[in-house]
Amino acid sequence: MDSINQWLDPSEVRHLAERLLRPVSPARLSSTHPGFDSSFVGFTPNDAKPTEQQLVTSTAPAPLPPIASPSPSFSATAAPSPSRVQERMEIFRNWLSENFQATEVFLLDHEGKVIFDEGGHGRFHFMARNLALASQGSGNIRIKIGPATMLEIIPCEAPHGRIVLGALFPTALPADHIDTITELLAQTAAPA
Amino acid sequence: MPLPIASVKNSSKRRVISIAISSQKGGVGKTTLSINLAHAFARNGLNTLLVDADPQGSVGLSLTRQSRQLPGFYDFLADPSIPVERLIVPTRLETFSLVPAGQASEYEAGNGSSGSHLARVRSFLRSVAARHYDICLIDTAAGLFGVTNDIIASSSAIMIPQQAEPLGIRSVPKLLEGLNRLRIINPRLNVLGVCLTMIQHDLAESTEAASALRQLLPEAMLFQASIPRDEVFIRASTKGLPVGVLEEGKDAEAVFDSLRAEIQAKLEISRTTATYLPH
Repeated sequence: MDSINQWLDPSEVRHLAERLLRPVSPARLSSTHPGFDSSFVGFTPNDAKPTEQQLVTSTAPAPLPPIASPSPSFSATAAPSPSRVQERMEIFRNWLSENFQATEVFLLDHEGKVIFDEGGHGRFHFMARNLALASQGSGNIRIKIGPATMLEIIPCEAPHGRIVLGALFPTALPADHIDTITELLAQTAAPA
Repeated sequence: MPLPIASVKNSSKRRVISIAISSQKGGVGKTTLSINLAHAFARNGLNTLLVDADPQGSVGLSLTRQSRQLPGFYDFLADPSIPVERLIVPTRLETFSLVPAGQASEYEAGNGSSGSHLARVRSFLRSVAARHYDICLIDTAAGLFGVTNDIIASSSAIMIPQQAEPLGIRSVPKLLEGLNRLRIINPRLNVLGVCLTMIQHDLAESTEAASALRQLLPEAMLFQASIPRDEVFIRASTKGLPVGVLEEGKDAEAVFDSLRAEIQAKLEISRTTATYLPH
């Protein structure tokens, strides 16, 4: 046993294993996949103003947890390794989800290739690619795809070219929140 | 309400149970487990598809001589115009078919970041479900990254072969952490558990490692049946056959039958926490 136990923490291993055996909440299991079904509403204007209630309840998002600086640090021209992007995107995704109830987060690179995705919805990628191309520099685009589901497409300039973030939100995000997200996305894609 | 395996065949709406066979480390007997477990399901009458998603293509190399020429799983990921039926290779057993790794595998090896193939992997599983398979076993590349992550994030369940030796067992925390992260993306993922492989009963280090793991993990996280290190597996793969086809492989075949029965029991027990409809 010593040849194994001195290399790992048995209580941590047990805790991780028990978490895997724990049933997932029925709410998460019963959630249906979003898409373009009968509840699809259509486009909303890019400059949609948040409702009064949204303004009242809207608070500044919590700061992004510290992202470990990669070592060695990336140069302005060298693309970061996929595993590092993945690691940072997972932190960013959790932050988005905690602060804005974002789901189905994905990220496309400057060629439109998927570099991070938690939903696997090719239709969203296709739409984000086309709309980001069509919008060329005019900021974020949002599409209301259901009564309480907004697909937000946020292009962002990164050192390796324009990247496109997509995610579903329950409501339209105010402009200052979009700015914060864009800023933190740029940091996530290219940390100093 | 998800369906237990016994009900799958009689369901009017076709469903497939996809099981990723994945490990943190390579060389733990993953391909041997995948081939022989798939054979056990097929002999049990379930329409079984074994998918080689390991870029090394070991399933194909073990079971089909032409695997170096056949299109396969990685070609499907790379080219949306390839239909799944072009990839399926039948075997002498009517209920057992294969999908080889394919020709695009070398290009893909180590290249894809997680999430980049999620949509295609799910499209593959939807196509498999539409072709009336009951079980789809996927032999993945070692490590929890790239396409392997996307497969686990799309599967109904995961089974983890773990070699009974100290070094391999030290990698268990990393594997469990990775699976907990993947379960956020795929909350339906049913963790069937760890299956001890390559146990050498005449080697103290091996049996001690096996017993240490049994003490370390909750009982439900470990399969009761374990796979011994046995020359019969080498003889079977040399001939391109599942072990049970060999006269001297009947004892080994019984181990895989036990594993198959344990999986069926686990899936039925956990039916309130899992669903088998592909995403």
